[in-house]
Amino acid sequence: MRGVLTVFRREVGQYFASPVAYLIAFALLLITGLLFNTDLTYSMRVKPAEAALIPGFLSFALVFFAPLLTMRLLAEEKREGTLELLLTAPVPDSAIVFGKFLGAWFYYSLLLALTFIYQFILLAIAQPDIGHAISAYLGIWLYGGAALAVGMLFSGLTENQIVAAFLGMTALMFLWLGDLAGQIVANLDLAYVLRQLSLQGHFSTSFAVGLLRAEDAAYFVGIIAVMLFITIRIVESHRWR
Amino acid sequence: MIEVENLTKHYGTHLAVDHVSFSAQRGEIVGLLGPNGAGKTTTMRMLTGFMPPSDGTARVAGFDVLSDSLAVRQSVGYLPEHVPVYPDMTVHGYISFWARLRGVKNVRQQVDAALEQVQLTDRRKMLVRHLSKGLTQRLGLAQALVHDPPVIILDEPTIGIDPQQVIEVRDTIRQLGENHTVLFSTHILSEAEQVCDRVVIIQQGRMVAQGAPATLRQQLQSGAHLYIEVRGANEAKIREILNPLRDIQSIEPQGNGFSLRVKPGKDLRAAVAERVMAAGVALLELRPVAMTLEDIFLDIIKRN
Repeated sequence: MRGVLTVFRREVGQYFASPVAYLIAFALLLITGLLFNTDLTYSMRVKPAEAALIPGFLSFALVFFAPLLTMRLLAEEKREGTLELLLTAPVPDSAIVFGKFLGAWFYYSLLLALTFIYQFILLAIAQPDIGHAISAYLGIWLYGGAALAVGMLFSGLTENQIVAAFLGMTALMFLWLGDLAGQIVANLDLAYVLRQLSLQGHFSTSFAVGLLRAEDAAYFVGIIAVMLFITIRIVESHRWR
Repeated sequence: MIEVENLTKHYGTHLAVDHVSFSAQRGEIVGLLGPNGAGKTTTMRMLTGFMPPSDGTARVAGFDVLSDSLAVRQSVGYLPEHVPVYPDMTVHGYISFWARLRGVKNVRQQVDAALEQVQLTDRRKMLVRHLSKGLTQRLGLAQALVHDPPVIILDEPTIGIDPQQVIEVRDTIRQLGENHTVLFSTHILSEAEQVCDRVVIIQQGRMVAQGAPATLRQQLQSGAHLYIEVRGANEAKIREILNPLRDIQSIEPQGNGFSLRVKPGKDLRAAVAERVMAAGVALLELRPVAMTLEDIFLDIIKRN
């Protein structure tokens, strides 16, 4: 626990000390701000405000920006040689991986919290569907955790952050595309399986429309658990090389 | 404090460390000596709990590196060859991180003490990336001793820094030796001679000698050397003059004079002087040459 907490604290501090994280926050707020503005303009007359607007956008954007948040986590430790020192610290390997993952997830949660501002604006000028929004946010929070866990796994595979980010994006792209594949495959059973495996399949038709289902939450938690397990094994493998 | 028995490490089919055995008592400074690629780093990595040995046992502070890895890691301070740093952290933050990770109780106090010991107190607010190579090395040392471990393991701590800083690091190692068991590796022999209570020489993964530097020198000296400088005689002439002295094993030119290799235990100074002068050659200098650890080392490497 001490190890998890110490690594977690360092990682969170590290996000605030690095320009990449600020750039990502800047880009995220800029794009979501523009989206919100556009949606608001339409909502004046044509339709009610979209409750899952930001989470819906993130479900696609995470494919690219989750790996950017996690590419550093293990690749940098390997390149700087600090991984060797971490592995000689009196903490289990899993503590290092958990601490890092929680640090990334925490930072992502902060970014997500920044976009609450749009909900507050809506609350001030209209009567938005709060339950729907909460469901979408909860979903995208879990979705983000799963995406970050995938990104971190690839950070553990290489010393090169660019390669880590690229591999992470590719993997997430496949997980995301499963949704589209599910729509175009003619065999219904296969389509169903593909969709159940994809990230979108557990978000776009449930959390995003205000539907909370245990199976979707279990899917994201499951992805996180499997990815962290593999990452711990990857870190451990450095002792055998 | 450190007991190593038949420690062995394979990388695939490559045998990196081959049945190495040695030990280090409390408060002893032991030097691990050997050319690059001899297996020094691998040996240290096994002792720090970084990688498990393929065969043999190693105990650090009474704990087995395999079965009590966490306890071993708690008892060891380790500085790898390339000081691993987080460039974006401050000096103080970096040391505090390692202190916390190793479960130090009074973090602030211990961190201050460690920074004081390596004279980095006035740079505590600096970013690690702005430190010079020598200061980074000291930062690495501070990291290794912040949790006050009984055993400190340093991998080539004096490599790549300027001579003044090398002296400072050596002084620090000597100070550490008062309260800790220090194991450090080097391929600079004079360094081992100056700093260590004992040296362990390994080559191609095998231990070839160990002992106090002075003892090693005595044991391994395969013959005494005499240096002689004369005027009015060339090499051939010198050989001719000294040829009858059977205890001289070889004569080789060295600088302006000659180096004579003499059978161990014989003092030939008087005899050599007598013969040289009897031949009518002016004797300018005649002195015994103590063999340095360096010579012994090269000798051992050659013989193996």
